[in-house]
Amino acid sequence: MRHKRLLAGSAMAAVAAMTLVGCSSGSADSGEQTVTMWIYPVIADEASHRDYWDGIVKAYEADHENVTVKYEIYPWANRDESLATAIAANKAPDLVYLIPDQLSTYQNSIEPMDEYLPAEQKDDILDNVVDSITIDGQLMGAPLLTSANALMCDKNAFDAAGLTEYPSTWDDLMDIAPALKEKGIYATQYFAAPEVTLNMTFYPLLWQAGGSVFNEDGSEVAFDSEAGVEALTYITDMAKNGYIEPDLISTFPSLEQTAIATDQVACTWQSAPADVSAFWGEDAIVIKPPLENEESVSYGTVGSLAMMKGSSHKEAAGAFAAYATNAENVVAYDLAANYFSPLKSTGELYADDPIQGAIEAIVPTSTVGELFPSSREVMGVLAPEIQAALLGTKTPKQALEDAAASAAPLLK
Amino acid sequence: MTTTGSTAMLEPPRPRSDGEPPRSKRNLAKRVLERREARIGFFFALPAFLLFLAFRFGPAIAGVGLSFFDYDISGLLEWEGVANFERMVGDPVFWNALGVTLLYSLLAVPLSVALSVVMALGVRRGFRGSRFFRSVFFLPVITSLVLAGAIFKWIFSTDGPWSQLMTPFGLDESWLNSPVLVVPALVIVGIWSRFGYGMLIVIAALQDVPRELEEAALMDGAGAWHRFRYIVLPHLKPTLFFLLVIETTASFQVFDLVYVMTQGGPAHASYSLVYMLYDQGFKYFDYGYAAAIGVTLFVMTLVVALIQRRLVGRDK
Repeated sequence: MRHKRLLAGSAMAAVAAMTLVGCSSGSADSGEQTVTMWIYPVIADEASHRDYWDGIVKAYEADHENVTVKYEIYPWANRDESLATAIAANKAPDLVYLIPDQLSTYQNSIEPMDEYLPAEQKDDILDNVVDSITIDGQLMGAPLLTSANALMCDKNAFDAAGLTEYPSTWDDLMDIAPALKEKGIYATQYFAAPEVTLNMTFYPLLWQAGGSVFNEDGSEVAFDSEAGVEALTYITDMAKNGYIEPDLISTFPSLEQTAIATDQVACTWQSAPADVSAFWGEDAIVIKPPLENEESVSYGTVGSLAMMKGSSHKEAAGAFAAYATNAENVVAYDLAANYFSPLKSTGELYADDPIQGAIEAIVPTSTVGELFPSSREVMGVLAPEIQAALLGTKTPKQALEDAAASAAPLLK
Repeated sequence: MTTTGSTAMLEPPRPRSDGEPPRSKRNLAKRVLERREARIGFFFALPAFLLFLAFRFGPAIAGVGLSFFDYDISGLLEWEGVANFERMVGDPVFWNALGVTLLYSLLAVPLSVALSVVMALGVRRGFRGSRFFRSVFFLPVITSLVLAGAIFKWIFSTDGPWSQLMTPFGLDESWLNSPVLVVPALVIVGIWSRFGYGMLIVIAALQDVPRELEEAALMDGAGAWHRFRYIVLPHLKPTLFFLLVIETTASFQVFDLVYVMTQGGPAHASYSLVYMLYDQGFKYFDYGYAAAIGVTLFVMTLVVALIQRRLVGRDK
């Protein structure tokens, strides 16, 4: 009994200590202020990325003598682990670069940006971007960039198969798949490994079929609808007939180890021009609107600077976020990073670039999907069931029903 | 009867000749600490002991505590009682992960220990080149599993050499794509990466097997199997117990292989308990549930180690 009490006491003390650490607060907004920011390799070349932020920080500090901005460029890998640990230890930065599903995951730790961004800057944000970063009516970040996943086809592959028409609809792609297969070319590429976000893989098909992941208020999942079954049946048929690379059902190798690197994939919505240009050559990249079934829709993300609730210098952090994401700086950053502007006033950034220009045209209609706190958990139970359907161990309907049953207790 | 200080420390308490019960452990500890060299030793060991308490024991206790709470990364802590454990019992994903972990362990532990013994016996004698082979066999232990995982992913791919090799047996598909064959594939890589360590331990133990016993048996006409069965194996028993415990612990905690090669797929066919813990803790930030899985794994490991001790290590 004594041991039990000792164990319980130790556990409580440890948990209490963790709570105290988590609840400690920083200093007030006064005097010298240091704003910290975590960013990730949005500009792939690290030297260029550092040059960019050094310039922004220097310009901002010149106008704000009492503010110092310190930034760190962290790798993309395991970024959630680092951030979650930092938040739990009250060591999170004031500002951090987050995408919409992260905004949803960390929403309890994020200070909304509404009162820190000037009204005209808020009004300038594209409508679909506002939708993507708004949770419970509050703007959770200051948008820095946006992207869209168009349908990208390899002209070399089409030439090899003697095809001249590029697909616009699901049926178009399925119709040309046998001719492509005859030449050893996969109709498309589908990454089904669990580490790949469904935003890039299955959800665009689900949306194109007219379905959704959740119902309107997020109280139930909706992917097991007829539209969901149609979407999963489509990609399962592709797998069954050998129209997609089989190894990608379970593994996620680097792109150079996949068929896409050898002109053996006709079209994809899961990679970007920058990923394939080294393999295909820029001239072979053909950008088309997202495939259409019931509708033509693609996934697009929004990168924004979000402020942590634990920030000790909210005013200074908010002011810096507003500065870093104003129209002038957004244009410079997005051009350097090959992304697109989340603002209306910036106009077309890539009018003279046929590849980027074509993708830019679909940015206003792209979506990040439905954002609910359990989005990631739901992906966690849905992804293995999609694998099961692709491997033929379950029918698409059964897989989605099983996933829906597993997802039900996870909904928050 | 008088005993020296050192043997008193090693001998178990026994009834005293005057009929009094044995002195308690507390008195023994007190008497040990009264000795100057013991005190010095204690102070030398103290920093390591404190570090162990702070960084190993403390977090473990905190983990046990956390399993009874719902803990949010924003710092919110809510008492849940045994709700996390109840949820676990009703969670099919947990039972699947438990099954995968047990299957992996059932395949990996005996095969790894057996291979360690076989390879150790193979390179035991100082034949020409035996040191070279020992180094080669040990190489996988010090090879980065991330690198090895990437290579094995290719080896097990549809067009990889393993699939080609397995064609005559009708197993020419990608093993990593098969819900049935994915665990055996992981077991192969797991054994490849670990048997060198076990082999080294067994080689060290084989040095203690008296040569004269084996030679006498040989003179009496005992074959290789009988010499191994009745002379070598009894001497290896404590080593095998040690190997069984560490291999079982490592197998129950299999994570890195799964993380690098399959991410738990396909269709959760290689989703181990520690991978589930990682997902719950670091992907979904459900720390209370992750801690409950960790506590269950700890209890499981402890129980299996005790059973192994009873079955294999009871003589020692």
